[in-house]
Amino acid sequence: MTLEEIRYRGWSEQLTWSWLGWWPIARTGLVLVLRRKVFWIFLGLASLSFLFMFATIYLKAQLTTQNPGFRRFVDGILSNATGTGETYRDFMFAQGTVTMLLLAFAGATLVGDDIRSGGMSFYLARRIERWHYLVGKLLSVGFLVSLTTTLPALVLFIEYGLLTESMVYFRENWTILRGILGYGLALALVLSCLLFALASWLPRTVPLVMAWVGVFLLLPATGEMLREATGSRKWLLLSLWRDVRLIGTWCFGAADQPRELELLYPSMIVAAAVCVLSILAVLPRLRATKVVP
Amino acid sequence: MALVLELAGVSHWYGAFRALTDVELRLEAGPIGLVGQNGAGKSTLMQILLGLIRPTQGQARVLGLDARTAGMKLRSRVGYMPDRNALIPGLNGIEYVALAGEMCGMARRQALRRAHETLSHLGLEDARYRRLDQYSLGMSQRLKLAATLVHDPDLMLLDEPTSGLDPEGRAAMLNLLGTLAHRPGKSLLLASHLLGDIERVCGSAIILDQGRVLSVGRIETLRAARQRGYRLRWDNAGAAFLDSLRSQGVRIEASRELADRSAVGGEARVIVPADWQTREFFAAAMAHGVTLQMLAAEEEDLDAVYHRLIGGATGRSTGNAPAAVPTREAT
Repeated sequence: MTLEEIRYRGWSEQLTWSWLGWWPIARTGLVLVLRRKVFWIFLGLASLSFLFMFATIYLKAQLTTQNPGFRRFVDGILSNATGTGETYRDFMFAQGTVTMLLLAFAGATLVGDDIRSGGMSFYLARRIERWHYLVGKLLSVGFLVSLTTTLPALVLFIEYGLLTESMVYFRENWTILRGILGYGLALALVLSCLLFALASWLPRTVPLVMAWVGVFLLLPATGEMLREATGSRKWLLLSLWRDVRLIGTWCFGAADQPRELELLYPSMIVAAAVCVLSILAVLPRLRATKVVP
Repeated sequence: MALVLELAGVSHWYGAFRALTDVELRLEAGPIGLVGQNGAGKSTLMQILLGLIRPTQGQARVLGLDARTAGMKLRSRVGYMPDRNALIPGLNGIEYVALAGEMCGMARRQALRRAHETLSHLGLEDARYRRLDQYSLGMSQRLKLAATLVHDPDLMLLDEPTSGLDPEGRAAMLNLLGTLAHRPGKSLLLASHLLGDIERVCGSAIILDQGRVLSVGRIETLRAARQRGYRLRWDNAGAAFLDSLRSQGVRIEASRELADRSAVGGEARVIVPADWQTREFFAAAMAHGVTLQMLAAEEEDLDAVYHRLIGGATGRSTGNAPAAVPTREAT
């Protein structure tokens, strides 16, 4: 066999910037998740509450335009679509359950498969550093979180503004935009770090889902029980989803819940600690080859 | 000729476990074999050569680049084919190879074009849109090779590329590697526990055992380190004959006496010194009144040399593998 027989041709052209190495990783991660049917089922479930809220805002706008006298009545009936910061914060919070389920299954595809099938060797033996891989995977997870929380909230915000009070609404409620983006960022960061850490140590779907359920169902339930038993509200910090919600409340600038915001700084510390510990837990798992001593 | 690998006093520990011990290597471009059993330190050595781990001690230069500091630059010029699966379930062949190209710094379009070319070179053009979980083992190995070759690296690090292949697939893979390994300016480090594979593709070899380099050099030099052995059969009492051989530096590996109603005799397997002449057997036999009935030369293959060097097996003689044994018989 000669090179001519296999028609082999060499290659030498300009290489792209090396810092962009995270992009193919993030893109491929998303492609892999989007190809799974289970993802579309969860996305469909996540879309239900979005569609309900979208229709509510539309209905409310139509009713109040046609009969301005109905406004108070409609506000009373459709109280979850008032266009305030709470509307969007509560919407993003309510998306939590389905986002959790979606991530529990996506984690095995995005990270677990790389650990189990040797994909890590494939990635790390190329022209990237470990941080490219880390950033690429975190962005994939972050995008999935945004797809079910931040992006629908932004669409609802735009819809509300366009259908109700037009530019005045946007001008007077710019803090809502800050709140949506801030809460979305906090969600994406905390969830992606935690998912990456858990999936790198529990790469199979079932153990990962169990661990995920432990973090987001058992820990909050334990916290609630301990709060009732001891009377200390600090036990509520065990609910990570609630901690991030507090950060979200702060981003929306809601100062009407001083009792809730008492735990804001501890919640921030918990969220930051989860991120840092997750990254530290991931680093030893980022190896190109297994060493057989 | 430029040096491809320069390792000076490289040692590496994982905690208390010493994976590599004082590795010294200076190798020129070309196909190089890396032989060692599981746990010999091959993976660690490859990780060091890829710049993925820093050696605890010593210096490693690959393609003239310092593996400690130029990891990314180095990996853009090196292609690595791991022994493990290393596939990404859910992708198809073309996406996998194109992704490898992109990860090596190629623009997406170029990577896709090059992936099509590379898969064609390796005979996978019909399977390029097939999902990776539907690839057979042989196809997976060729696909991993395509992902290694996509950016046309100056050095290919191949870890057990023939593992799990059937004899036909193995021969085809070695044939292909042999072709690719001899491209001008390109080098290949082929890690395998099968010396036959190394012998077929590589010009030189490194033998690694428990983290130490036991031997390094041209394959011909290794061949020269082979022991020459003979099988002898004689008539009459042979004790004095064997003693005479021993006194001349011949090692008697195994001997036994043969006796029936009509005659006595014996047979033995012997290892002779490097400068031994076959006629010296006849001279010794004549001097002790022994008639040689059979004198058969046995040559060690590289596997046996390897096993002898690592001190594991006692030296598997090719006498057990007739196809590979050049045997001369004289009676």
